[in-house]
Amino acid sequence: MAMRQTPLTCSGHTRPVVDLAFSGITPYGYFLISACKDGKPMLRQGDTGDWIGTFLGHKGAVWGATLNKEATKAATAAADFSAKVWDAVTGEEVLTLAHKHIVKTVDFTQDSNSLLTAGNDKLLRIYDLNKPEAEPQEISGHTSAIKKALWCNNDQQILSAADDKTIRLWDKTSSEAVKTLTFDQAVSSMEYIPDGEILVITYGKTVAFYNAHSLDLIKTVDAPTSIHSASLHPDKDYFVAGGDDFKLYKYDYTTKEEMESYKGHFGPVHCVRFSPDGELYASGSEDGTLRLWQTAVGKTYGLWKCVLPACTTEELASENSDAIYCPPEIKA
Amino acid sequence: MKKAPVTVLRLPRGPDPNSRGFDPNSPRFIALCPTSIPSSAGEGACIEEEQRSRSELRERFLRTLIKMSNKPVNFDMYEGVQVRAKFGASDIDVLNFQVSELQTPIGVQKEALLRCHDMISFSFDV
Repeated sequence: MAMRQTPLTCSGHTRPVVDLAFSGITPYGYFLISACKDGKPMLRQGDTGDWIGTFLGHKGAVWGATLNKEATKAATAAADFSAKVWDAVTGEEVLTLAHKHIVKTVDFTQDSNSLLTAGNDKLLRIYDLNKPEAEPQEISGHTSAIKKALWCNNDQQILSAADDKTIRLWDKTSSEAVKTLTFDQAVSSMEYIPDGEILVITYGKTVAFYNAHSLDLIKTVDAPTSIHSASLHPDKDYFVAGGDDFKLYKYDYTTKEEMESYKGHFGPVHCVRFSPDGELYASGSEDGTLRLWQTAVGKTYGLWKCVLPACTTEELASENSDAIYCPPEIKA
Repeated sequence: MKKAPVTVLRLPRGPDPNSRGFDPNSPRFIALCPTSIPSSAGEGACIEEEQRSRSELRERFLRTLIKMSNKPVNFDMYEGVQVRAKFGASDIDVLNFQVSELQTPIGVQKEALLRCHDMISFSFDV
């Protein structure tokens, strides 16, 4: 018998959640950071959603947040014209990087030695975290505010999406734009999958998949609503998307068919990401909450519990039973 | 047929209203921060002495805050702003100061919160 998805709601933020990111898998599990307009980004245990701590210090809405692979450092981008680097174990602020305008996006390199920032001043900046007082490398070219900037191709190149309706691929060494993609409307989100070199882009009601090297289009999928964010499963069998109609959609990546949709949020979904092990995905919404959703509904994982058939027979006998059943093996 | 909902063990734990978290007793904290005091002089060099100095300075700072209670204090802020107020208390992370009778160019504010990040320095008569 199929089961109904029970999303786990993570409360604590008091304003819309606009960005979220997972760390890699560490010896202590994996972690999740959320950016919120209340100016207080939070760190949570990735598989349970348990709050670990709040990074205090920004004086404005936090638009972007990220963790390094090991979840030892965090970086945030805020409306107070600064990007901050934090110790993600102690919660202490390590660095404040002043900018000339609202900062929207931050991304660490794989070795955590450099930080990429970008925002409303239309510039990409690369900071050497070992020499933070040194002037950052600046890359210009975009003609409007940059919404998202990511390292790609072994941290040798940078992908940036801006309100000028372009996505540009830059070479880090030469600071030159190698390729440009132009769209009819602004890109709402971007995700880079290093394993497989796939770029996931959303604009309007479309989720598009590109090759991250060549920027060749792989496929597009149209959704029933304006999509704000999408994420591809690590095994590349599903992707999830969310947007204006408050729902989360799950699609088969190969066939492009919509498999499931889930209600739960009370506002538009701004960001969605798969966990590094693909077992769950997290969504952040205008309603101020994060929700965790199971990829394989009914499987025992994190706080979700699969009730075994042996227990169910007793429950079925009782008057108040919900008749919860879980088949022993659920294939994802 | 109506689908049964997946059961959960409990709900995710929310924020602690009294602290910013990052529990120093968590296994991760203990493993990754044996000494949470970053040394300014690089590896090995006189960590103990630095720790002692840091503790002394911290204690001095906290005692200063206590001494400042209910006294008029002059605050030098960014953008050349200088204000005077009666100091009440600091919050636990020294992010905000609670003050009263804050003298501003547009009048006296009976009660106010000053953001510590906005301050360059402050002084008072002992």
